Amino acid sequence: MDWYPLYNSLRIAAIACVAVFFTGIFAAYYVAKLPRLVKGLLDVVLTLPMVLPPTVVGYFLLLLFGVKRPFGIFLARFGIKVPMTWWSAVFAAAVVSFPLMYRTARGAFEAFDEDLADAGRTLGLSNIYIFWRVRMPVCRQGILAGTVLTFARALGEYGATSMIAGYTPGRTATISTTVYQLWRTDNEALACRWVLVNLAISAVVLLVVNMLEQKQKGKTR
Amino acid sequence: MPLNFLEVWNNMKRRALILGSLALSASLLLSACGGSAASSQAASTSSEAVASSAAASSEASGESVQLTVFAAASLTETLNEIAEQYKTVAPNVELVFNFDSSGTLKTQIEEGADCDLFLSAAQKQMNALQDENLINTDTRVDLLENKVVLAVPEGNPADIQSFEDIGTDQCKLIALGNEDVPVGSYSVEILTNLGILDELESGNKITYGSNVKEVTTQVKEAAADCGIVYATDAFSAGLETVDQATAEECRQVIYPAALTASTEHADEAQAFLDYLATDDAAAIFESVGFAMVK
Repeated sequence: MDWYPLYNSLRIAAIACVAVFFTGIFAAYYVAKLPRLVKGLLDVVLTLPMVLPPTVVGYFLLLLFGVKRPFGIFLARFGIKVPMTWWSAVFAAAVVSFPLMYRTARGAFEAFDEDLADAGRTLGLSNIYIFWRVRMPVCRQGILAGTVLTFARALGEYGATSMIAGYTPGRTATISTTVYQLWRTDNEALACRWVLVNLAISAVVLLVVNMLEQKQKGKTR
Repeated sequence: MPLNFLEVWNNMKRRALILGSLALSASLLLSACGGSAASSQAASTSSEAVASSAAASSEASGESVQLTVFAAASLTETLNEIAEQYKTVAPNVELVFNFDSSGTLKTQIEEGADCDLFLSAAQKQMNALQDENLINTDTRVDLLENKVVLAVPEGNPADIQSFEDIGTDQCKLIALGNEDVPVGSYSVEILTNLGILDELESGNKITYGSNVKEVTTQVKEAAADCGIVYATDAFSAGLETVDQATAEECRQVIYPAALTASTEHADEAQAFLDYLATDDAAAIFESVGFAMVK
């Protein structure tokens, strides 16, 4: 069994997860402070990938990065070709999983007791210090759960990934695209093995989420 | 603290503002898509053709028959065009097409999909269905012949001139159909005969599409340096072809057709199948490069 798809899936999900961790948190933090109308609009745009079919996300990604599209042509000047590379799947995974981080982080930030931040300010702490040393630790459970969900979603991405990265064995193949191709080419036995691998990873991820939630409940009571 | 995702989700739902802006942005996106990419237009025209033919036939007679035709993806353009023409021949027949790789269609028929007529891009899938008694063997005919070609993106950026060039360093990535797609197995045959398949596989130079249209799009969008498709797909997509498989490199590409064993509209399906062999239909098939099997 060639383990490349596992390695590829894990690195795509890990990179996407790190990228989404920071962008999602900062989007959540700053969007919450915006005027109501702008906030509502941005909220919709940032959450859309969660409710859109991944194929629609793939379509937009290809409009953006396609070698024949304006931005793709611009990138080609620097010798960068995005589609059909393993890292193009990072974009797909990041966009699709972004709302999970953004939403969960916002929920956590909204429940944050602003008095704590104000107390910090009276002690002369900087906003950056308050954010990282007060707000984030208090919201830790929510942020962690969001991160785990983001990772799980990124790992399971199929639709947008198959559109922008295709299926090149040993290069762009991920667990999900491998399962589909093996199934299509009548290799059910091997498809089944990858399904088991995927089930195992997803079960672990969900266990982690549950553990975090249990811990959280114990704390608030 | 709303840690549970459901809580967050409920939180979100409460925002009435979101619903309003959702509708707004949806309409914005819809209008934006109206003038966008050619690929989306191609996709929508096929469904429009089916939809409009449905409307026309139900108006023409009270007793319309719906024929479900499963056809190889490479027949997309030609069958949609023939369907338009067929409306005047048999206004009471509503044609519904399902275009995909013959392998996918075969699996769907095996899984019990409603289908009256099957047009495959290779004998393999038709043989399999015949062995399982899923098609009406008496109705089986060899309808069309196609050619397998090597297509390159506009301007041929990797400067690939022949099947042999696929084995050189000029070609970084080639798009093929997977083994389940007829054009994929024809491609494997050509590359095996040239002795470069193993090298391409070990060099991870092959990207697999799940039907010939996907391969065509990957070449058209220059996502791959070249791709092996049918002459007719290359023609319909306006792709540059640089080589065509010879009889030594690849077996004859024959499209067989047959009624399914489960069809409830055998007469209408047979009539449409017969129509596909008439000169009127042949003119359309031949316009993109198919040859009729006599």
